[in-house]
Amino acid sequence: MPAGAGTVAGGVGTLLLGAALAGGALVYDMGGVWVSVKAKKPGGENIRLVVPAAAGPVALWLAPKKDIRKAATDARPWLPAIKAAAEELRNCPDGPLVEVTNPNEKVRIAKQGGALVIDVDDPNETVHVSVPLKMVGIIAAQLEAMPDPEMEHGSAAEEAESSTL
Amino acid sequence: MKRGLLCLTVILLTATCALAAENRWLHVKVEDGGEKAEIVRINLPLSLAEKVLPAIHTKELHEGKVKVSEAKFEDVDLRAILEALRTAPENEFVTVQSKDQDVRVAKSGGNLLVKVRDGKEGKEGKEKVENVEVTIPFTVVDALLSGGKDELDVLAAVRALGTLGDTVLVTVNDEHSKVRIWVDSRNTAD
Repeated sequence: MPAGAGTVAGGVGTLLLGAALAGGALVYDMGGVWVSVKAKKPGGENIRLVVPAAAGPVALWLAPKKDIRKAATDARPWLPAIKAAAEELRNCPDGPLVEVTNPNEKVRIAKQGGALVIDVDDPNETVHVSVPLKMVGIIAAQLEAMPDPEMEHGSAAEEAESSTL
Repeated sequence: MKRGLLCLTVILLTATCALAAENRWLHVKVEDGGEKAEIVRINLPLSLAEKVLPAIHTKELHEGKVKVSEAKFEDVDLRAILEALRTAPENEFVTVQSKDQDVRVAKSGGNLLVKVRDGKEGKEGKEKVENVEVTIPFTVVDALLSGGKDELDVLAAVRALGTLGDTVLVTVNDEHSKVRIWVDSRNTAD
């Protein structure tokens, strides 16, 4: 074994460990998206899903660009508001934001420990969704940063016009 | 020593005001006592509205301001009416009393008060009464009118709401339902 090989292997190992720790810290910092659906009727389907919130922005990056761009264009007017709301809600104390109660159904949207939590309890099922507000802000910022097809189209048309002139 | 105490008082007051503004909540509670018997509670931090409003850019709302041309209701110039009320002395402006309806619009204690009592004959001859009370502090009206000539500054109005004490803004009571909109420092509706 060459003399420097051990040092290189050690360096790579340290790098990988560092990356894993940084990744772990990011996942821990952002929390997770929790989705739980419990059917009340016998034989009904139960779904339980926990996804690290850090996977959200990655999924957005990996998803087909065409579809994401369309979604970004549709949501563009509201993205700054969503981003601002997510950011400000993180600073607000925990508590219920919306509660709807009737004899058949209970719906509760609350801010709880850095996440937006939605609970629905109706005769068929109970649904629990928890989304970290940090992730909402990051995804909104990511979508906002995507090039606007209308602007691109406009600038391309302007360029074509100037070149013909 | 005196100067130090004065500085400390100013700092404490500023901090108190800042905290007060930060922790104000707008609450909406709707109780429908009809067949559905539904209760809706909404608790909105005013700081959230303050941050979100400037980020909304639509045709009607831009930078937290509404164009007045969009806020005209059936040729009623809302801004002109609010401006007239703001500058008028404290008084009872409109009182309409009829068999079915009482309407009272007044300026009192720095607030614009609107009270409507609407009584209608029910199916079985029983009287159905609806009471509506709206209180708008004039500091909020002032803030609303603080923008340009053709706009209502909703963001400034929200900020003004944040500086007020606990205030009930709207109550509606009728046979089946109750609506209450108010501002306080609690993050839950009672």
